[in-house]
Amino acid sequence: MPSPINHFLTVTPLLLTAFLTNCLEAASSSRLSDEPVPMQTEGFPERPAPIIEWGQNPFLGNGYIAPGFTTPTGAVWQPLFIVYGTMRSALQSFDAGGPAGETSEWANRLDLFGNLYLTPTERILIGLRPLDENGEFSGYRFSDPKDDVDRINSRVHTLFMEGDFGELFPFLDPLDNKSLDYGFSIGRQPLSFQNGILINDNIDAIGITRSSLFLFGASAFRATALYGWNEIHRGNNREANDTKIYGLLTAADYDQTSFEIDTLYSESTHAEGGDQWNAGISMTRRIRHLNVSLSANTSASLEDGNNSEATGDGTLLVGQFSFTPPYTEDLAYANLFWGIDSFRSAARGPETGGPLGQVGILFAAVGIGSYGAPLGNQADESAGGAIGYQHFFNHTRGQLTFEIGGRTNTTGRSRESIAIGTRFQHAIGRHFVFRADLHASDGNERDSGYGARSEILLKF
Amino acid sequence: MNTTLLARTELGRILIFTLAVSATLSNQLLAEDDLLLLADEPVSDLLSDDNLLLTSNTSGDDLLSGEDDLLANDDLLAGDDLLANENDLAEDLLSQPAEVAVEVMEDAVADAAAAHAALFAEDRFPSATTCATCHPDHYEEWSVSSHAYSQMSPIFNAMHAKIVKLTNGTNGDFCIRCHTQVGMQLEEPVFMSNLERNPTSREGITCIVCHRVSNNYGKVSGRTSLEEGDVFAPVYGPEGGAVLAEVLANRDKFKVNADPNKNGRNIHAEAIEFEPISTSGFCGSCHDVNLLNGFRLEEAFSQYKNTEASKRGESCQDCHMGTVPGIASGYEEGPAAVVGGIPTKARKRTNHMFAGPDYSIVHPGIFPHNTKAQELATLAEWLEFDYEAGWGTPDFEDNVPLDATFPERWKYIEDREEARTILDQQFKRLASIREQRYQVQRRAYQLGELVVDEYSDKKLRFKIKVKNGTDGHAVPTGFDAERLVYLHVRVKDKDGKLVFESGDRDPNGDVRDLHSAYVHNWELPIDNQLFTLQSKFITRMQRGGEREQILAVNYSPDPLPYIRPEGRPTILSGRPSAVRKHSRGILPAASRWATYSLDRKSIGSGGPYSLEVEMISQMVPVNLIREISDMGYDYNMSPRQIADRVVQHAHSLWTFKTTIDKEGEIEDWTPNEEQIMAPAPPEKPASKDPEESKATIASKE
Repeated sequence: MPSPINHFLTVTPLLLTAFLTNCLEAASSSRLSDEPVPMQTEGFPERPAPIIEWGQNPFLGNGYIAPGFTTPTGAVWQPLFIVYGTMRSALQSFDAGGPAGETSEWANRLDLFGNLYLTPTERILIGLRPLDENGEFSGYRFSDPKDDVDRINSRVHTLFMEGDFGELFPFLDPLDNKSLDYGFSIGRQPLSFQNGILINDNIDAIGITRSSLFLFGASAFRATALYGWNEIHRGNNREANDTKIYGLLTAADYDQTSFEIDTLYSESTHAEGGDQWNAGISMTRRIRHLNVSLSANTSASLEDGNNSEATGDGTLLVGQFSFTPPYTEDLAYANLFWGIDSFRSAARGPETGGPLGQVGILFAAVGIGSYGAPLGNQADESAGGAIGYQHFFNHTRGQLTFEIGGRTNTTGRSRESIAIGTRFQHAIGRHFVFRADLHASDGNERDSGYGARSEILLKF
Repeated sequence: MNTTLLARTELGRILIFTLAVSATLSNQLLAEDDLLLLADEPVSDLLSDDNLLLTSNTSGDDLLSGEDDLLANDDLLAGDDLLANENDLAEDLLSQPAEVAVEVMEDAVADAAAAHAALFAEDRFPSATTCATCHPDHYEEWSVSSHAYSQMSPIFNAMHAKIVKLTNGTNGDFCIRCHTQVGMQLEEPVFMSNLERNPTSREGITCIVCHRVSNNYGKVSGRTSLEEGDVFAPVYGPEGGAVLAEVLANRDKFKVNADPNKNGRNIHAEAIEFEPISTSGFCGSCHDVNLLNGFRLEEAFSQYKNTEASKRGESCQDCHMGTVPGIASGYEEGPAAVVGGIPTKARKRTNHMFAGPDYSIVHPGIFPHNTKAQELATLAEWLEFDYEAGWGTPDFEDNVPLDATFPERWKYIEDREEARTILDQQFKRLASIREQRYQVQRRAYQLGELVVDEYSDKKLRFKIKVKNGTDGHAVPTGFDAERLVYLHVRVKDKDGKLVFESGDRDPNGDVRDLHSAYVHNWELPIDNQLFTLQSKFITRMQRGGEREQILAVNYSPDPLPYIRPEGRPTILSGRPSAVRKHSRGILPAASRWATYSLDRKSIGSGGPYSLEVEMISQMVPVNLIREISDMGYDYNMSPRQIADRVVQHAHSLWTFKTTIDKEGEIEDWTPNEEQIMAPAPPEKPASKDPEESKATIASKE
């Protein structure tokens, strides 16, 4: 039976071996080599074809490309249907230090996609998650109550079409010099803006986008208008089924800095809904060797009672700073957050938890089973951060991350917690990744928590 | 002659046939030995079954000799490395022991198989050297173009191989599909030496890649379908078949045949009008690169559609295939073809040189493409020809010791001199496109006013306007994340001492940005005031925000990067979740200020100051060469060698010198037409010693 101690005994030697071995890797010289290197054609990776590949043309494979057929609108379609995805299987034990106690489980998740390309710019995607539903994952629970967990389902998780209006109707612009490049996406689609803080949900929506615009002096400017009408989960991860979302989402690149500025309005008369206005701004730039990403997201509840579980007034500030040490590709980072009052995202899916996942691996759930975020990921009236180091080795096919983080309540109540954790990931061949996580946490209003897990991920 | 004796035996006939059909139907065999003309009926019967060899019939057709020299210019025979030098083979065979002869025969059979493969490929995808027979001017322009270089580039090959490797094979043929459509259609491996590729596939964007396309595919990132067929199959062009019909109607005059069963010069039977080939959308099928995971890598066509140029109805072709590079200036008039020395009727004549920012760094014997060079030696043999030592020049040959040794192919002075003659032609072609590259880039990248914002004994602040001289797209455009366009600025104080420099290079040849290995490793300081227009690939790290990377493959969140369609709509965000591009180009017809500031510590003895400004365009930064070097470079080139040539051939677009002695606008450097079209400056000498360079920078800091 898996337990944190067993996991620890198994995984720790692996981590130490990997780390020590790769510390011995010689620092490379800055100077270019005068020696020719023979072309490395031996062992060059073959294309791993998707498990299903129907159509006349291979998916990124060499060989004949068939001409396809011309639609009445003048578009040339070269249909190709592929099936691909990822399968994850994890053994894990988690104890948040709360009354729920330890959970040990074998959990599985399959993300299965069928993608029909009409052209390289127009496609229809269908996505299933046949092994999990509503936050529960098929597998086996070792801790009490011991039991099989069967969440096999055929629910369509994702189904949308995206493309380019001008490419669908080329007869409208036979000389190809009109600005008809309106991108669109319609259907049930996962949306993530402001790094998943502002919106992170799988909703029924339509979006229309213009890219490569020359506006406001930006080198590249993108604007998206969004309307969502169904399957919208509010800031408390629960669905309010009459919610509508209207949004304007923009991105701009300037000489030194990239910006994303977004605004969304949500309306709902549902008891668990409510009206809310959201806005987010973020910037990314490099200052000498330092990578700097800053974001501010705010929400304003338009309900009479102001804050509720679904809506709230508040602001979340996140700063991410990192640099790459000399002679490495590694990353040393420090991330900080400050949740002012009760920020609520415009939409958050049931599996996405709170908005703090980007702050650190200690603030994020692993996305499979009931292995949660060691330091939690809700941002209400709290501040904290994480510092960490991500080390790459074996030509970036392996990586080891160490992180320490903490958070505190900002209302004056003494609710503080800290955690330390590590993550090891290594590619195996061309299809598998082995991953292990360890962490320990403690807080002044709870018991010590800990977690250990190992996972095999298959890509196909 | 020995070969005639050989032909009298059955074995000899087989051998001769093998040699002849394979690699070996060389013009030397035909012209010098008259071997086929002497052969008896079975040989000629066999040959006549092969359409490719039709012109070698025994009817006494003068195509085999004399002025037409059709075979000599026909890539079926000459454009293939496999075909070279086999005329020595039969003679060698007769003087060797039996076992050696068998080995040689086996080699010949292997060559035959390879040559047949090449010939069969020619049946499907004719080479540009085939087209050159009747379109010599088009061929010459194209032969030195970026299109022709696309697959020959050792940097491209290593880069795309590195990306495929980092993505565990999943990037597949995405990059190389555009660079060698023919190679990919032929199912060649995505990574192999160009020396081993089919001759047509290493021609890159060769004639048929545009002229055997019959559909307007849209923004498909190069995944178009080429119509297969030998030289007789239809071609597609902007004006249809009027000129061709005239030629076909005068077969006696032009001695052409559009029917493989008839005699005469081989010619396509149809030239079909295909209007989209004259539209920007046709260029956009490759020059708007969207990865299948939603990453917008190149946006030249998308940019164009939002510009004033598109509103005026000007197309990509108008500026890049017209009379003057980089501006819509109309087209020349000229014959579409020259058939047997007779030009066809004049009509709109487009320039197929497509001058752009890329330039060749490979041996001039293998690029530009050259039918005579291909006849003379294989690519591998050309790589052995030490042109830099002066082989084949009178100076060298008059002074070389008699006992000097040379590679087998170049042991005779006549061959070296012939090679030198070809290389002289190559250098002219390279010089020709260099002129056009300067013109098109000078039109795009321009400097404007120099303004001094502060001039005092405590500080010097000035700025230089950098302008996009075109309104058809941003600059740089296309593969802008690897286009290095920057300002090199030097300031000297009143005593002539260098007190400030930005845009200088590290010992590898990089500017001192974050991608410089010396800056990355903290061996040199970052150039904090560097003005560069290079866009950057940005990757989202597992945690810690985003950082720049030289290649857009993100291994931080996932140690097994895969290129698969994203599970979310990328068109709304213009990017996949893990990577994006930070665009930094200048908008169409817009400008940006390059600002510089010297504080009290760095103003030396004060003004008046001497200011030197140079604007440089380099096709790729050296850090890219370093990043991908572990994949190995084709033609046995070293990373250092590649980098040196990239830096050496970088374009010094503008240089200005002036004196700063007051505040306000000092000068306006906006160029006039004469300056834009001025001759290119002389090539720079090779780079200096890296350690010396490093020491220089360190001392300045």
